Amino acid sequence: MAPVVQCMGLTKTYGRKIALNQIYLNLERGRIIGLLGPNGSGKTTLIKIMNGLLRPTAGEVLINGQRPGVDTKLRISYLPERTYLQPGMKVVELVQYFQDFYPDFRVDRAYDMLARLQIPPQERLKNLSKGTKEKVQLIMVMSRDADLYILDEPIAGVDPAARDYILHTIVSNYNHCGSILLSTHLISDVENILDEVVFIKYGSIVLQAGAEQIRQNEHKSVDRFFREVFAC
Amino acid sequence: MLGKLMKYEWKATWKLLLSANALTFMMTILAWCMVKILDHSGGDFAMMDFTAVMVLFTYAGSMFAVSVGTAIYLIHRFYTSTYGDQGYLLHTLPVDTHHIIVAKILVSTAWVMINILSIYLSVIFLFASSSEVFDSMMRGMKDTIEFLGAQKITIFTVIMTLIAFIFSVFAKVLKVGACISLGQLSSNHKLMLSFAWYVAIYVVERVVYGIYFALQITFYRGLSNTHYTSIFDNQWETSLIAGIISCVVYYLLTWYVMSRKLNLE
Repeated sequence: MAPVVQCMGLTKTYGRKIALNQIYLNLERGRIIGLLGPNGSGKTTLIKIMNGLLRPTAGEVLINGQRPGVDTKLRISYLPERTYLQPGMKVVELVQYFQDFYPDFRVDRAYDMLARLQIPPQERLKNLSKGTKEKVQLIMVMSRDADLYILDEPIAGVDPAARDYILHTIVSNYNHCGSILLSTHLISDVENILDEVVFIKYGSIVLQAGAEQIRQNEHKSVDRFFREVFAC
Repeated sequence: MLGKLMKYEWKATWKLLLSANALTFMMTILAWCMVKILDHSGGDFAMMDFTAVMVLFTYAGSMFAVSVGTAIYLIHRFYTSTYGDQGYLLHTLPVDTHHIIVAKILVSTAWVMINILSIYLSVIFLFASSSEVFDSMMRGMKDTIEFLGAQKITIFTVIMTLIAFIFSVFAKVLKVGACISLGQLSSNHKLMLSFAWYVAIYVVERVVYGIYFALQITFYRGLSNTHYTSIFDNQWETSLIAGIISCVVYYLLTWYVMSRKLNLE
């Protein structure tokens, strides 16, 4: 079976600035992969290209062997680093929205997670706190049985307790036949759930390896190793 | 999926825009009452007359505000839901780009048409409130019908003129969508660039229309008076062709940017 993600010479430039430089990357199925790099390293650009929100300058990316399009969007569940919800919508309407557009959306799973967080379905999104909105968005994304979950900075800007909840939600709800690509620069918080890591620096992939392999070969945690690789 | 997209586009817009049209309705009722008061005041200036005049000014202002407000809201809605933060959800839905554009354009055009219709009905209703104005309006309509009859304007021509008008509304909505989309081609100052595109396209349109009408007038001057009257018959054809061409061009521009040059930052 083809890798869930294949990047072949993927390049993105903004004028003279190179955001991604000749990326070659294969991501296998059934794994939780950390896309790790400092701010401005190209993580979000790479993720947006995978989701069809940006067009590459050169090269191509394949999801399940296909270029980004309607078919790949059916199989990717994407959590962007910003809130994309309509403020006037009620939570129940948002659940209906996802159910209408995504055949793999599990309504019972969504309501179960909302109930556990005591988020009233009749509440309007604009009345929820920023943190709760982010959780609602995560619940929508994790209520799908996707082949690939792409989570862009899911724990940035939230308190440690919320981070635990988010990571727990991710690990306990994803489709285990699929993969998770999780972008972050907060390595210590996610290290324990990662199977594999991809280090990205100045738009280039500098390392792709198993998390356990790094710990064994380098005799240090992924977080420690990351700090050494990206030391200023 | 097109039906679902239209359903959610309608749900996202109906509350505010229906409220705006409800305001039109309320202001019409208020202005109607004031015209009745003015009608019966017999020309003597009184405080009530002054109030009535002020209400009529407010009525005119509110009609203007509702139509401009509707346009601004629809432009804002198109921008934020397509190229703003909400675009991250819209463009990751498993739907075709054509469906996204068609859903947005159909719903926006529907609102523009509702807005135009409500303002026309309001003005007609207001005119009807004064017997003097109503009589002159009816006389004007009768004269117009007689004039059109003399020019051999058929029902077919009237229907085609209406269709041409609908296409022109579609073209205006699509033009705004295309300009906002073209503005996204730049990394910076996207809104300013969208406005610049609008101005540039407007100038090109005026120049093309100017040349066309200059040629048309030159052509008809060379013909007899009998042929000259057929210029009225020719109007809807010109408008319809211009409307369809504009719709196609602006639609393709929007589709090209959205499907080939999408650049959500």
